[in-house]
Amino acid sequence: MLELKGLYKTFNPGTANEKRAIDGLELTLEEGDFVTVIGGNGAGKSTTLNLIAGVFPPDRGTITLNGRDLTHLSEHRRAKYLGRVFQDPMMGTAATMGIEENLALALRRGKSRGLRPGIHNQERELYRERLATLGLGLEDRMTSKVGLLSGGQRQALTLLMATLKKPELLLLDEHTAALDPKTADKVLQLTKEIVERDHLTTLMVTHNMRNAIEYGNRLIMMDAGRVVVDLRGEEKKNLTVRELLEKFNIENDRMLLSE
Amino acid sequence: MNFITGLLNAMPGAVSQGLIWGIMAIGVYITYKILDVADLTVDGSLCTGAAICVLLTMHGVPVGIAMACAVLSGLIAGLVTGIFHTTCGIPAILAGILTQLALYSINLRIMGWGTGGGKSNLPISVDKYDLLVSARHVRDAGLHNPVLLLAVFCVVLIAVLYWFFGREIGCALRATGANGNMARAQGINTNFTKVLGLMLSNGLVALSGALLAQYQGFADINMGRGAIVVGLAAVIIGEVIFDKVFRNFALKLLSAVIGAIIYYVVIQVVLRMGLSTDDLKLLTALVVALFLAIPYWKGKLARRSAAAPAVVAAAAGATGKEDDGDA
Amino acid sequence: MKKSLALLLAGVLACGLTACGTPAETPSEDPAEGEATGTYTVGICQLVQHEALDAATQGFKDALTEKLGEDGVKFEEGNASGESANCATIVNGFLSSDVDLILANATAPLQAAAAATDSIPVLGTSVTDYATALDLAEWTGTVGTNVSGTSDLAPLDQQAAMIQELFPEAKTIGLLYCSGEPNSSYQCDVMEGYLKDMNYTVERFAFTDTNDVNAVTQSACDASDVIYIPTDNTAASNTEAIANVVLAAEVPVVAGEEGICKGCGVATLSISYYDLGKITGEMAYEILVNGADPATMEVKTAPNVTKKYNAANCETLKLTIPEGYEAIATEETAE
Repeated sequence: MLELKGLYKTFNPGTANEKRAIDGLELTLEEGDFVTVIGGNGAGKSTTLNLIAGVFPPDRGTITLNGRDLTHLSEHRRAKYLGRVFQDPMMGTAATMGIEENLALALRRGKSRGLRPGIHNQERELYRERLATLGLGLEDRMTSKVGLLSGGQRQALTLLMATLKKPELLLLDEHTAALDPKTADKVLQLTKEIVERDHLTTLMVTHNMRNAIEYGNRLIMMDAGRVVVDLRGEEKKNLTVRELLEKFNIENDRMLLSE
Repeated sequence: MNFITGLLNAMPGAVSQGLIWGIMAIGVYITYKILDVADLTVDGSLCTGAAICVLLTMHGVPVGIAMACAVLSGLIAGLVTGIFHTTCGIPAILAGILTQLALYSINLRIMGWGTGGGKSNLPISVDKYDLLVSARHVRDAGLHNPVLLLAVFCVVLIAVLYWFFGREIGCALRATGANGNMARAQGINTNFTKVLGLMLSNGLVALSGALLAQYQGFADINMGRGAIVVGLAAVIIGEVIFDKVFRNFALKLLSAVIGAIIYYVVIQVVLRMGLSTDDLKLLTALVVALFLAIPYWKGKLARRSAAAPAVVAAAAGATGKEDDGDA
Repeated sequence: MKKSLALLLAGVLACGLTACGTPAETPSEDPAEGEATGTYTVGICQLVQHEALDAATQGFKDALTEKLGEDGVKFEEGNASGESANCATIVNGFLSSDVDLILANATAPLQAAAAATDSIPVLGTSVTDYATALDLAEWTGTVGTNVSGTSDLAPLDQQAAMIQELFPEAKTIGLLYCSGEPNSSYQCDVMEGYLKDMNYTVERFAFTDTNDVNAVTQSACDASDVIYIPTDNTAASNTEAIANVVLAAEVPVVAGEEGICKGCGVATLSISYYDLGKITGEMAYEILVNGADPATMEVKTAPNVTKKYNAANCETLKLTIPEGYEAIATEETAE
C-alpha cells in the first residue's frame, strides 16, 4: 500500500536555520489501515504528510503508493490518489466560491479539466445527499459562499471534498486542532464514519492522545524525524493515555540522554 | 447652463473611452481579483495590441483580423509573464515589470516594422481605413457610433467570459486565485492556470489597446503608461459601488466596465471644472487610494459594530445566531 | 451602512471637485461677458511637460492674445503628462465645449485631434513631419483637411544657405534619405531646387531600409563633396552606421535636425519653439478672424534659427566653422 523508504528532509540546508525534519523515516501502511500519528512539536508529523502529498520533495528516499512511485510526481498530479484535510480550516476550501462549486472541484480531482461545464445539474443531487450526511444543514445552502461558514463547517466540508472521490490514501493533518472541543468531536466522529463506510486507508496526525488511542487500528509515535513507537491491534486497543504519556516521556528522555 | 450642456456634450466621448478601457479593466479584474496577482504587463501589452492592430491595418489586413492578431500578441505577452513567474520562479509583480520593460523595445520594433528601425508612433486615419471605432463618430447617430458598438462588444465579451469561467477550466482558474493550496490538493495544475489567467488578461488588454488606437487615431509607445492604474481604478470603483448589488459573476465583470466609465466621466467633469491636467495624476492617485481604503475601513467598522452586540448578547446569556459571528 | 458610505464618497468627491474648481486659465473666465464681445475659445492639447513644448504653447498664446486682446480669446488647456492616451480625453473635452480651434502641441495630440474632428480647425505645432504623423501618402506642403500648423523642421532655404556658407567650393551635394518616408522625399525635392539655384550639382541617394544604409551611404560618399540628410527617421536611428562611413570617407554631412547632426553630421539649424508657437498663433488668427481655410494653408516652419555644429566631427574632418555657430551640447537630453 503506502511505503516510505529511507526518507530524509532537511530545511534551510547550510544556513543558521538548518533543520533536519525527517531523518531516515521508514513506514509501511497496509490496505485499510487507520493510523493515528502523535509526536511532539518538530517531530516531523506534518512534514511527513507534506512529503506524501508532494508539497516539497524529499532529499533522499522513495514514496510508493500501491506500487506507483510518487517520489518525483508533482503535487497536483498525485492529488488524484490522495484526499487531504489541513489543520487550518481556511486552507482546504475556496472561500470566495460556493459550497457546490467547491464540491464540483473535488469531484473532478485527477481528471483533466476542459471546457465541459464546471458543475452539472445531476451532480447537485449527489452533493445534496452527501451534505445531508453531515447533519449541518449545508444541503439547503449549496450556493452560499464557503467564506460564510464557520471553521467546523468548513472542516466538515473539506472532509467531504477529500472523500467525495474515494482516495487511495486519506491524509488528515491535525484537522480538528483549530476547532473548539465540541466541534472537534463532531468532526472526528464524522471522520470515523466516513473512513469506516468507505474503508479508507488513513493517516491522521493529532495532538490529542485520547483521540490517538480511540480512533484507528494502529498508532505511531514520531520523534526527531522517525517512527519510535508503532502499536497495533490489541496492544493499541488496550493502551491508556497514562501508558502512552510514559512512552512519550521515555522517548523524550532517551533523546535528551543521547544528545 | 453652459457647464451642464458642455458636460453632456462630453458624455459620449467619455463613455466610449470608458467602454474601451472597460475591456482593459476586465483584463485587470481577471488577474487582480480572480488570480490575486497585480500584473504590470498590461502597461506594455496595451501598446502591443495597438501597434499590431495599426500596423496590420496599414498593410491592408481587414481590421477584424488585425484585432484578432492584436489579441494573439497580448496572449503571448501574458504567456511570457506567466513563464517568468511559474517556470522561472520570479515574483509575479516583478515578472510583469520585466515583460513590460521588454515590450517597450518590442513595441518600438513593431511600429517600425518595414522601416528598418524602431518607431514610437504610428498613425491610423479613419479617412483612409475602414475602422471599427473612431472618435470622429462619437456624436453621430447611427450604427457606426462607437458608444453603441462598444457597448455591444462589452456585453458579448462578458457573456463569453461568463461562460468560460463556468467551465471546468474556468472554475479551476478561480480556485487557483481563491486558494492555491486547495486547488493543488484537488489536482489543479496551478502553474498552468496562472499562465492561462495571465494570457487571458493580457489578450483582453491588447484588444482594448487595438480599439483605443483606432478610436484615437494612432498607436504610441507611451499610450500604455499608467494603464494599470486606470484598470485598477476601474475595478475598484466598480467593486466599491456595486459590491452589494451585483452578486453574479457576469455582473461583477460589468461593474469593472462601469467603473471605467465612471472613471472617465469623473475625469471629464474634473477637467471641465478647470482642474489643470498637470494635477490629474495626483487626483487619480488619491481617488484610487481612497477607493482602495474604503473596503478596509468598511471591514474595520463592521468588525467594531459586530463586536458590540456580541458582548451584550453574551452578558444577557443569550445564544448567538449561528452564522453572524463566523462571517 | 451602505448609505452612509455612499454619502461619504459623494462628499469626498464633491470636496475634491470644488477644491479643483479654480479654472486653470484666467483670461475672461466669465462666459457671458466673452460671448458679448465675440470671444474665441481655443483648446490647447500638449503632449508632455517639456521646455520646448511649453515654449511653443506660450508663443501661441502670446501671439493670439496680442492680436485679439486679453478678452478676445479664452484658452482651455490640457496636458497629457506623457500618457498619449490622455490626448483623446482632453480633445473630447474641447469638442464638447465647442472650441473654435484646437492647437495640438506635438504628434500624439495632433493625431488625436485629427481622429476626433474633421470640421473644427486643428493647428499642430512642434510636429516635425505631418506626412508621417497623419499617414499621408503624398506630401505637397499642405495636409488638405481641417489640419494645418507649423513644423519644427528648420526652413529648407536657410539650410541650403548654410550649405553654401560652409562649403562654397563644393561641387556635388548628395541628398541621402530613406525612400520610404514621404516627408524625406518632399524635403529633398525642395532642397534640390534651392541647391541647383546655387549652381551645385545635386545627386540623390535613397536607401530603402536599415539593411542598405551602409552601401547607399558609401556610394553617396564616393560621388559627393558634401552630403545633406533631411529629418529622416531611418537615418536618425542609423546615425552610427552613417558616421562610420562618412567620417572614414571624410565627407561632411549637413543634417536637417540636431539629433542626426549629433550622431554623424557637422552642422545643422536649430529653431526657436517660442517663435514657432507665435507663427502658429498668427495662423490661428487668420483662421478665426479672417476665415482662412486650413486645407489650403501650408505647413510653416520657424522664422528664426540658430546655426549649430558638431565640434567632435568638425575636428575629425579638420573643418573650421565660421563665427555665429553654436556647439551642440554633448550631454543634451532633448526629446
